[in-house]
Amino acid sequence: MDRLLATGIDLTTSTLVLALVSLGLAVVFGLVRVINMGHGAMLALGAYLAWSLTGAGWPFPLAVAGAAVGVAAVGFVFEYLVIRHFYGRLFDTLLISWGFYLVVTELIKVVWGSTLKSVPNPLPGSIAIGGAGIGRYEAVVCVISVLLLTAAGAVLYRTDVGLRVRAMIGNREMAQMLGVDAPRLYRGVFVAGSALAGLAGALIAPLFSIEPDLGTLWLVRAFFVVTVGGLGAIVGGTVVGSALIAGGTVVFSVFSPQVFAQTVVFALAVIALRARPTGLIGRTAVRA
Amino acid sequence: MSTGFSRRALLKAGLAGASALAAPSLLTACAPKSTSTGSSSGPIKVGVLSPLSGAWTVYGKAHSAGFRLAVDEINAAGGTLGRRWEVVLADTKTEPQVVTEQANRLVREERVDFLAGTFSSAERNAAGPVATNADKLLLYPTFYEGQSQQYHPGVCNPNVFMFGPEPTEQVWPHLEYVVKKHGGKFFLIGSDYVWPRETNRLTKQKLTELGGSVVGEVYVPFNTPQYGAVIDQIRRARAQVVFLSLTGSDTVNFRRQLAASGAKKDLVVWTVDDEEAATTGVGPDATAGDYVSFDYFWSIDTPNNRKFRAAVTKKYPDVIMSTVGVAMYNAAHLAALAIEKAGSVGTDEVRRALEGLTFDGAPQGPVTMRALDHQAVLPSYLAQVRPGWTGPDDMFTVVHQVAKVEPATAQCETLPLAKS
Repeated sequence: MDRLLATGIDLTTSTLVLALVSLGLAVVFGLVRVINMGHGAMLALGAYLAWSLTGAGWPFPLAVAGAAVGVAAVGFVFEYLVIRHFYGRLFDTLLISWGFYLVVTELIKVVWGSTLKSVPNPLPGSIAIGGAGIGRYEAVVCVISVLLLTAAGAVLYRTDVGLRVRAMIGNREMAQMLGVDAPRLYRGVFVAGSALAGLAGALIAPLFSIEPDLGTLWLVRAFFVVTVGGLGAIVGGTVVGSALIAGGTVVFSVFSPQVFAQTVVFALAVIALRARPTGLIGRTAVRA
Repeated sequence: MSTGFSRRALLKAGLAGASALAAPSLLTACAPKSTSTGSSSGPIKVGVLSPLSGAWTVYGKAHSAGFRLAVDEINAAGGTLGRRWEVVLADTKTEPQVVTEQANRLVREERVDFLAGTFSSAERNAAGPVATNADKLLLYPTFYEGQSQQYHPGVCNPNVFMFGPEPTEQVWPHLEYVVKKHGGKFFLIGSDYVWPRETNRLTKQKLTELGGSVVGEVYVPFNTPQYGAVIDQIRRARAQVVFLSLTGSDTVNFRRQLAASGAKKDLVVWTVDDEEAATTGVGPDATAGDYVSFDYFWSIDTPNNRKFRAAVTKKYPDVIMSTVGVAMYNAAHLAALAIEKAGSVGTDEVRRALEGLTFDGAPQGPVTMRALDHQAVLPSYLAQVRPGWTGPDDMFTVVHQVAKVEPATAQCETLPLAKS
């Protein structure tokens, strides 16, 4: 029973952390069709900003907010200078954002150096749940992840802004004729995606190693989450994709070696894609 | 654009990105072309292969700085055989194929007299054949898995000398101390490659002799971010000691998550990978009370180390010095002593002179190169991480030490190692 509970907790935390990390990517790709390879660098930048700000004496929550704003600002500049000229050109944006990744990663090395950094855990200690336990800070990160996913869903499906975004995705010309300011909306989405990346990077900073290549650890997993989950199904797809990639590893490693578990999960992801090329819940949700 | 198409495109992009990440960057370590022909006049040229970019950059600085510091000292004392030393530095980018390219370049174009460096076992194994073909020596600094004929010519190679500790030097001397203090139920976790597997095999062997037992053994693929499942396994196994041979960012991620999970109140951590630089990355809150074992620590209080620390602080103030950098430092000094003794930089002469040679000035205490199998006889230290440390200066307290540890005999076909 304890074992089941512990596995359940791991499954939940792994899934929610991965969902948090992938959400920015899912938003940008799902809504404005930009394959943002820069997502990895934005995660790293968020973590470094959190490191600098906490180092400068900011309280942790404020540092996280600062990191999100900082990365959003970088995303804004990048969008304004470059990305906005390339919407609708999938491979161009892929290459450009890959360039962005390389440049930002090198700049991080210049500014912060390549030594490993660490952000102190803002909430040490753990909470006992039955015979199992969960770190207090991990629990907070999970709650924030749930809140963000809920908020993203609410904005998309319950607000006027969400309606415009969906209208624009459904038929850009028609939406523009009806008075939707598409360029502004696109920019808003890209900046929101950047802010989410910065926020995620800062939030996971106390749990992970902070290094310039931090993003590489997550980028491939996040891509799998977005593709497996299903495009257009931004919230549901992210959750389902994360559950398969992160949760699957947890479940398989209960009765097989860790190396094997990760391989099986990626193989399953490929099979899932072959069987349902639009993603596990891609069709049932709003079409992007 | 159809959804199906863009999904595939995205997946492809992700995979392309992944492989691009693995590709070497365009930066190359440049060194001026030299006219030296490796003859008996002009400077003594050494090709140093350091991981200056890529996954092990963190260790690369100490790695090259240790060697350069020794060369500066050698040159300040007038060089060797009246000849100055010249270092040609090459970036291995932590990739075996780059090691092969760079080692070949150093030997053919730069015409270096011998090679020093490489970091991981895979890098060393890539440099081994180059050293053999060119008949140059390779001085290897890293703590490693020991020598076994199957990895020849990376090991069991008469041209390769090991200056770092192998598992029976790094782990065995302290097992009894840890078992007595914390219990014998060990949970082994390591990265999935040869060094952790060999280290764990040998640890298990000695642990069983001491009456302890292994309650779990897990190998993790490189670049795994999340460790919830493993931490859960550790709890269930009721481990008393978590014995750690994860590397790079994986060790940092695991240790931070282990600490955050609260599981550490029931166990201690013993790592054989996390020297000063990696411990800095994990941070004080997630390392307090953990054990680390190596042949060298920045905190060792000996006259040699005091001198060494002062020199490092003066010349390379932003380098976090560690066991690997010190092994490079010792390698240069032992090579200088050997060249002096041989009266030549010829490969056979220097090899013979190095065998059995002792360097008394080593920061950790006297280091001897064993003639039989080219492994270093070294001191071994077990240190504990101090709570609330602020940097390498106050990071470790040595709790157990052995002044001189003979490594296990190499598992090579022919010993003593000799040119066939």
